[in-house]
Amino acid sequence: MKASKDKRTTEKPLTGARRNGGSFNPGSIARPPDGPMTPLSNRGTAQPDSRTLERMLYYLKLTREAEYRIERVLYRQGKIVGGVYVGRGQEAMAVGATIQLREGDVTFPSHRDFAAWLIRGFTLRQIFLNWLGRGDGPSRGRENTGHFGDVKRGLIPIISPLGDTCPLACGTALVQKQRGQGHVTLVHFGEGTTSRGDVHEAMNMAAVWKLPVIFICNNNAYAYSTPTERQYAVKDLSVRGPAYGMPGVTIDGNDVLAVYEAVRRAIARARVGNGPTFIECKTFRMTGHSAHDGAEYVPKRQFEVWAQKDPVARLEKLLFAKKLLTPKAVREMEEAIAEALDDAAAFAESSALPEGAEATEGVYCGPKCWWQSRLHDD
Amino acid sequence: MPVLTHLEAIRQGLWEEMERDPSVFLIGEDIAAYGGAFKVTQGLLEKFGADRVIDAPISESAIVGAAVGAALMGMRPVVEMQFMDFIACGFDQIVNMAAKIHYRWGPAVPMVIRGPSGAGVHGGPYHSQSNEMWFVHTPGLKVVVPATAYDAKGLIKAAIRDENPVIFYEHKFLYRRIKDETPEEDYVVPIGKARIAREGTDISVITYGAMVWTALEAAQELEKERISLEVIDLRSLLPYDEEAVLESVRKCNKVMLLHEDTRIGGFAGELAAVIAEKAFEDLDGPVVRITAPDTPVPFSPPLEEYFLPNARKVAEAARRLAVY
Amino acid sequence: MGTNVIMPQMGESIAEGTVTKWLKKVGDKVERDEPLFEISTDKVDAEIPSPAAGILTRILVSENQTVEVNAVVAEIDGEGSALGAAIAAPQPARPSPAVSADVSPPAAGGVEPDAPSPASSALAEQKIRSSPLVRRLAKENDVNLAKVRGTGLGGRISKQDILGHIAERSAGTPPAASPPVPTAPAPKVFTGATEVVPMTPMRKQIAEHMTLSRRTSAHVTTVFEVEMTRVYDTRAQQAAEFERRNGLKLTFTPFFVRAVVEAIKQYPIFNASVDGDNVVYKRDMNVGIAVALDSGLIVPVVKRADEKNFLGVARAVTDLAERARAKRLSFDEVQGGTFTITNPGVFGSLFGTPIINQPQVAILGVGVIEKRAVVRGDAIAIRPMAYLALSFDHRVIDGAVADQFMVKVKAVLENWTEPVL
Repeated sequence: MKASKDKRTTEKPLTGARRNGGSFNPGSIARPPDGPMTPLSNRGTAQPDSRTLERMLYYLKLTREAEYRIERVLYRQGKIVGGVYVGRGQEAMAVGATIQLREGDVTFPSHRDFAAWLIRGFTLRQIFLNWLGRGDGPSRGRENTGHFGDVKRGLIPIISPLGDTCPLACGTALVQKQRGQGHVTLVHFGEGTTSRGDVHEAMNMAAVWKLPVIFICNNNAYAYSTPTERQYAVKDLSVRGPAYGMPGVTIDGNDVLAVYEAVRRAIARARVGNGPTFIECKTFRMTGHSAHDGAEYVPKRQFEVWAQKDPVARLEKLLFAKKLLTPKAVREMEEAIAEALDDAAAFAESSALPEGAEATEGVYCGPKCWWQSRLHDD
Repeated sequence: MPVLTHLEAIRQGLWEEMERDPSVFLIGEDIAAYGGAFKVTQGLLEKFGADRVIDAPISESAIVGAAVGAALMGMRPVVEMQFMDFIACGFDQIVNMAAKIHYRWGPAVPMVIRGPSGAGVHGGPYHSQSNEMWFVHTPGLKVVVPATAYDAKGLIKAAIRDENPVIFYEHKFLYRRIKDETPEEDYVVPIGKARIAREGTDISVITYGAMVWTALEAAQELEKERISLEVIDLRSLLPYDEEAVLESVRKCNKVMLLHEDTRIGGFAGELAAVIAEKAFEDLDGPVVRITAPDTPVPFSPPLEEYFLPNARKVAEAARRLAVY
Repeated sequence: MGTNVIMPQMGESIAEGTVTKWLKKVGDKVERDEPLFEISTDKVDAEIPSPAAGILTRILVSENQTVEVNAVVAEIDGEGSALGAAIAAPQPARPSPAVSADVSPPAAGGVEPDAPSPASSALAEQKIRSSPLVRRLAKENDVNLAKVRGTGLGGRISKQDILGHIAERSAGTPPAASPPVPTAPAPKVFTGATEVVPMTPMRKQIAEHMTLSRRTSAHVTTVFEVEMTRVYDTRAQQAAEFERRNGLKLTFTPFFVRAVVEAIKQYPIFNASVDGDNVVYKRDMNVGIAVALDSGLIVPVVKRADEKNFLGVARAVTDLAERARAKRLSFDEVQGGTFTITNPGVFGSLFGTPIINQPQVAILGVGVIEKRAVVRGDAIAIRPMAYLALSFDHRVIDGAVADQFMVKVKAVLENWTEPVL
């Protein structure tokens, strides 16, 4: 236990990951080791444009670095208290899916989809204020981690009983459908969460009402410590899509382009009123469940195998290969990221903690709403 | 002024709010074409259409969750629970999601969950519960329990206009048994304000819901014995009208707390605590609770009758307290 | 070891009693059988004699406090005097450890403290049953709760009790305490439109008893006019000698008792009670005599009146009436009546329609004895006359029987022959 902890202490962020990046086959969808995938479609994939590709790399790197800062630095310094959950190794789902959303769309990211907040317009300062429990943060200290959102930005956060957001996604999609402007809702959840009744109820409801919802299952192989074979009895969860009356696909969740393409198709269906889609993204959680979990229950070899499929390194390699990016540009990107993180962390640390007595404010919404007095960082 | 049943008053309140505000819509099981198990929503589909009166699959959690999602999108959903007993199936969405969102990150969650509760109709353990305390103990929710038709209409309208999730308890025994004058015009009864259902001097009976009528019946009986009961109808439990409670206690100096809900952890316990804290020196006798016993609600008529508080039990307790 | 003074059981059904007055202070010397305190129970108000001689060392039950029968109310230090009948009473359920430490023993030089020690009175205060409201009102109005008579459950001082006390006090009258002798009530000085005065335990008892009787029996009252010439003359002629010989005033009451006894002998149904579907005839004729007190009414009983001659009856009547007024009746002396005589005539009433004293079945009310113009033969004569009103329980006594009973009473009185000396 101690050994594994020490190992992660010395684990390097981005640069290290890139060095160990391994082979990356651009344009292909890598097959995850634990099973085949349902083909996305008979037609070819639609590549995002170069600007989008660059943005995706930026968000992948920024996520990796920000979560490193949170989990390996601020938490270990005692500056972040409580639970810390990150999505190392599975950054591609949030990036590949969220980057396609328009204004009026809504997303319900999981707790391992850090990039969703960034892409929906939250600043690093706001995010760090929240993680550090600061009074000026988006939840004003009421909530930890990524348990905050903004309806205007179209991001509604999870609550700890995971899967509860799936019925909410039906609600936002119901309104979107009735308003008839072609807006859609994404909802991310893990494979463990699919065992919950709320996910079943929501998928059934979405199919019955043909709601514009895209159910994205980030299947990262472990629900806390429980492996998939103890969670469900089917090979691929995507078979559940047709069981409810919607398409179901299984894709490589570590391939940001595969995520992009699967979600693009699902969104296209949804925007024209053809209803929901279920997308299973096979990925791997390259950490414990939380910062205090050493993940001894995960065979070391699995980490090694999945390290070869690192989504950040894969996209970077592709962009080099396609000559869409130079090493200099990447360096500049990394420097900007480091600078932004330094700024956000320093800003959050120097920001005031809330007054204890504020705990009783803002329980109810009313004409004189306490939340209306909040100070935004933006 | 037209005389409406409790049920008609609720329907009229829903109707008026849907006419007034296009963001109000109804969602629940068998509420549209069928008009609801108790026909509360009868006729609303024809008037407002299928987009605003929505029949849902039997998925209480998804129904409540979808309502939360819609509320975040600026709508004002009104959820019907076919029986309030089934609200347990949507419990997590209510207490963990709906109740806490505003506190956690600020948005309003304007929604209502309404449905029939209470016993007295031989409904058995799953069609009879008074489970309001599950929600009274959840900050962020409001809990409303009308007794009269007038209040039922005024409170459903207030609940729909509220910016917070409101759990609205209708008592199925009152649906068609209680009628009173209910104005056709627009009015609301503010949430959190109690009502003096009957003025009295000797003993204050603090109650809500169907038990208001039980208390009034006992008060009438005791009038002959020159025991004067004051009956306070709380109307709302969260927030509740603490000042009205204390005022009545300070006036009568003896108090009985009456509810159909079971005893331990019932609202009477909370009231007793507040009275002890804030009106201790106004008490001229022990605080008396009259509640159902701590059992599920039994089906067979003699068992159910034993279970439920009634006017006779209230009067007996009042006589004992009067001579204390 | 001292002697425990306990709350006596004044009747089998009595569970508790209220100490209404302490006649001694802590530190006072008391003789055995010397009146020590007064009590009030549901049945009787009584003065309780000390069970032993010695120094009153502790008062554990304050005035107006109600305790269970056999509870220790005080303790007397023996001082080596005769302790013959020291009662070993059980300790109170909740012993107060502070008390024994704080008791003020007699000072070494034999100087007796003239006031209860602060600790004792504080303790007594604590044991007054009231309520948070009553205690607040007491504080706000500077009321000593020991002076307020409680009428609530178990003698608890209720809201009405203290409000009545405050109203009475502000009206200028002293707080309700046991009045020493019957006097005309002082005219009320009102501060408001009404004043609330709590009932005394005796008053409440009477109220309950009277309404119970009204509910229980089918009351009918029959009224006879009786010429009292023979009785009147007998009394006038013998009174002085009677008093000289017996030390007693010769009153009219023994005449009526004797007349009733004679009538009962003929009509035993008047010495009965109703028990469900049964009529219970009593062997002993125990005739109760209602005595008006300032605070109410009490009915001491002349036991086995049928076995007493005129003097015996007269002595019993006088003795009981005196002790009733002095609150020195024992419980037995107000128990077991089988017939009651009441005497509204002493206040000038012609006749009343008395309420039966349960579980009896009849009561005789004696109106004023005064000279009236009556027709004798065809002439108007002046005779001492009285109306006798008999209320009887029609459940078991029909009108004809009642009238026959009255004819007998009338006959005994009108034809009085029994020597009184």
